[in-house]
Amino acid sequence: MIWKIAQKEFLLNLMTFKFVVGTVVCIVLTSVFVPVLAKEYQQKLKAYNENVATNEGKLRQVVVYKDLAPTIYQPPALLSVFCEGLARHMGNSAKVDLSSVPEIDPAPANVNPFLCIFPTLDLSLVFKVVISLLALLVAYDAASGERERGTLKLTLSNPAARHEVLLGKLLAGLLTLVVPVTVTFLVALLILGLFPMIDLNASDWVRIGLLYVASLVFVAALYNIGLLFSCVVRSSAVSLVLGLFSWVLFVIVIPNGGVYLARRVHTLEPKQKMESQLAALREAEERERRELQKQLTPEGSAGWESDEGSPFGGWYPLLCTPSGAIYRQKQYALLNPLQIRYVDKYWEVRRTYLAALIRQGELVNNVSRVSPICLYGNVAAALAGTDRAGVESFLDGVRAYRERIIEYMRARTDNFSAPSYFTPSTPEERIEFEKCVQIEDREASHQRSQQLRNKVTSRIVPLELRDLPRFVGALGTAESLRRALPDLALLIVLNALFFALSFVAFLRYDVR
Amino acid sequence: MIGQIARKDILGNLVSLRFVLSLLLVIALAATSGFVFVDEYRLQTQDYRNQANEALAGFRERAGQLYQLAFYQHRIYQKPKPLTFFAEGFEQSLPNSCTFNAFTVRLPEAQHQRNFLLPALSNLDWVFLTGLILSFVALLLTYDCVCGEKEAGTLGLMLAGSIPRHKVLAAKYLGAMFTVGIPLLAGVLVSLIVVVASRDVVFGAGDWLKILILVVLSFLYLSVFVLLGILVSSRTAHSANAMVMLLLVWVGLVILIPSFGRVIAEITSAGSSPQECQRLLKDAYEQVNADYEAGKFGENAGARSPNIADCNPPARARYINAGTEAENRAIEDCYHQMLAQASAGRNVACLSPTAIYQRAAEAIAGTGLSHGVSLNSQIKRYQTELREYIRAQDREDPQSLHLLFDEENSTEEWNAISKKPADFAAVPKFQEQDLTLAESLRLAIWDIGLLVLFNVVAFAAAFASFLKYDVR
Repeated sequence: MIWKIAQKEFLLNLMTFKFVVGTVVCIVLTSVFVPVLAKEYQQKLKAYNENVATNEGKLRQVVVYKDLAPTIYQPPALLSVFCEGLARHMGNSAKVDLSSVPEIDPAPANVNPFLCIFPTLDLSLVFKVVISLLALLVAYDAASGERERGTLKLTLSNPAARHEVLLGKLLAGLLTLVVPVTVTFLVALLILGLFPMIDLNASDWVRIGLLYVASLVFVAALYNIGLLFSCVVRSSAVSLVLGLFSWVLFVIVIPNGGVYLARRVHTLEPKQKMESQLAALREAEERERRELQKQLTPEGSAGWESDEGSPFGGWYPLLCTPSGAIYRQKQYALLNPLQIRYVDKYWEVRRTYLAALIRQGELVNNVSRVSPICLYGNVAAALAGTDRAGVESFLDGVRAYRERIIEYMRARTDNFSAPSYFTPSTPEERIEFEKCVQIEDREASHQRSQQLRNKVTSRIVPLELRDLPRFVGALGTAESLRRALPDLALLIVLNALFFALSFVAFLRYDVR
Repeated sequence: MIGQIARKDILGNLVSLRFVLSLLLVIALAATSGFVFVDEYRLQTQDYRNQANEALAGFRERAGQLYQLAFYQHRIYQKPKPLTFFAEGFEQSLPNSCTFNAFTVRLPEAQHQRNFLLPALSNLDWVFLTGLILSFVALLLTYDCVCGEKEAGTLGLMLAGSIPRHKVLAAKYLGAMFTVGIPLLAGVLVSLIVVVASRDVVFGAGDWLKILILVVLSFLYLSVFVLLGILVSSRTAHSANAMVMLLLVWVGLVILIPSFGRVIAEITSAGSSPQECQRLLKDAYEQVNADYEAGKFGENAGARSPNIADCNPPARARYINAGTEAENRAIEDCYHQMLAQASAGRNVACLSPTAIYQRAAEAIAGTGLSHGVSLNSQIKRYQTELREYIRAQDREDPQSLHLLFDEENSTEEWNAISKKPADFAAVPKFQEQDLTLAESLRLAIWDIGLLVLFNVVAFAAAFASFLKYDVR
């Protein structure tokens, strides 16, 4: 009986204007959005590949360990076509060097800051807005419409239990909505397949599969909300109005209201407090640096140096005097550990501030979880790897990588004290350089130094970095699923809750 | 007759559930918006005052020696505007501060206190309420104004009398506008009461006039959706179908098309970014260095030493000024490219009346992109004024070399600019000026024209459609 009712309702739904228009709109929007988003992804992928190649090229040119400051790039998330999340608003690269700990960049330098006036565009917008509306439009007259037409009492006058009728309607509604959801996914995947640079691996397919399941659960939740209204009120016009207003609440009011509420409940400390803590630490570092510098003063100074630009920016002394080399060795051995220690302290201060931001973000998430649209957004972002946790996971990896690079440099340069840390010149070349700078005739001194520079430049080779630790950061599918699971479970609970309420309401529904 | 039909429609709408729910929702959101705005405005104004006082104090300290005024790094923040409660214009996300000295104006930066980890939200301003909620309500009130009457059988009866169709249409339009105007005006009134009662926000005469214009603009915007509702209602025989069509039209116009603007802008126009700006700067410096290597600036232009006899200050000044000009050109190009990209996206989004309404409201309220552009121009004018003042004061010192260039240590060592103290009272100080009403209207005139055009087209289509509507 359930199946018969479902079949009848399903076939009726397929022939309605709203279903046809809704499905066609989904197909049209997907056909328009996905090529644009896929092209954008291709551009990002191209930029990523170029950046990685440039970075590798620079690594191959590094001649001193001091200049090892690679930039790690996060590959663009293919599934950002489905859900952009927060990825656009945060940086996608992090520099690895002694002077800073990588952290989230709130104002990525490669993004035009004036484009924040535009809302996010991705495929999940089609689900959150169009298909959710379609679900409500399919459900709003499921019971009340039949009652108005008089067919509901006819159905129930047969030996069809009310729960069978309701289950049949639920099944029919879900089958109806499976069509536009499936068609949207198929069209999107078809279009993505046409792009040569887009290559879906096994992990991507698993995520897409999970996203498909999440989308079905989401539209089922919206259908159940519409069904609930239909089972509670007698007029389908009223049911429609209630459904639409709840839609406005879920799509517009609750997501934005959640942010306002969280900002009121969990106010952040002013940024100036963090700035003043950092300023105090900088002063403390400067004091300690000056104290350590006093220990170096008896050694003289760096003296004459002939500098060369580094591939990663900055400079290094191509040539220096023997005494200058000794000075620099002691300087780096003393000051680098100090710098690393204070950079960690700066990071601790920033991390405390960031933790407060994250707590506020969590509160927003918790408040917004009242809305199935927000739940779906969280699931989609987690599966696409474009949520905040995805960015944090990448940066955690880069921070760990930075520690490995520092240990590598320590090991190769005897805790930053070896000359190879800062200069490629040999002891003999440094002695010769000293003789050059001691020549009284400035012109001749400059000429001799230049000749020596050319000789050293032609002989130096880049560092042997075959054993340099390499960054490996891939977003695990299991990790993504773990992050998506709570919101997906809540969506399923909402489904059960709304259906249970519809069930109770329908059992008492006056069909006359 | 028009009045009678309109009155009937109005009364019918007023007792409907959809109107009651709309009114409650709008008033609740308007009140919330008012309270939230007052809180935030108070904090922003306090921060702005503190920052401005700090900047002034720092500038005053520099007045001890004239040359130091040229090198003082001003950091100017955008002044909080009282009309952000009507059109916030993304001011909490857009670049809001600019650093400059007498020589260079840097790219504007976003220096906000907001939590960047939160999802980018639509601010609860009146543009949001009108643009999204009230436009939705307008469609909800009009989707069955024609086809619903046809289904009920009353349309045929009405037209069986000697009532011309255009009068019926006009009456329906007026009835719907009156109905949708009630929550609009009620909401505006509620939020104005909340804002004014707080005493933290003071509106001048110009602001009240702008508020009036913004309310009229809101009516113009909602009129588009009322006419769209009447158009679709008079194209379909069933109200359910009309509702579906209108919902899809609303989703397309209000949500999808504005979202599309950014992607189109990124793909079709060569935009820029701070990173791209760095690349342009690097190229600019390389060009200047190449000119230096070619001896374009004179002998010893690269020499810099405390001993003036070892250097050639005029040549050095030419070299540094060339670098500064190249830097300023690169920053200016970058800034205009970034703005142009955003504007291009906005122009595409203006296929939607919602985007047009937003842009026009921001222009009148003096917020959004136009606020930043205005601030940038004012900073450049001030910079020129400051440089002229320093030049004029410097001329009076015979011991100065009268060379204005952006290298502080050389300027100090060579006495390139006078070291005499400056009269701080006479030093020009930066004060952000609000756009006048005429300037705001000038910025918004095209958008107002576009909204009028939308109205005319929608009305013509609704009129033509209703004239041919089969009422049986």
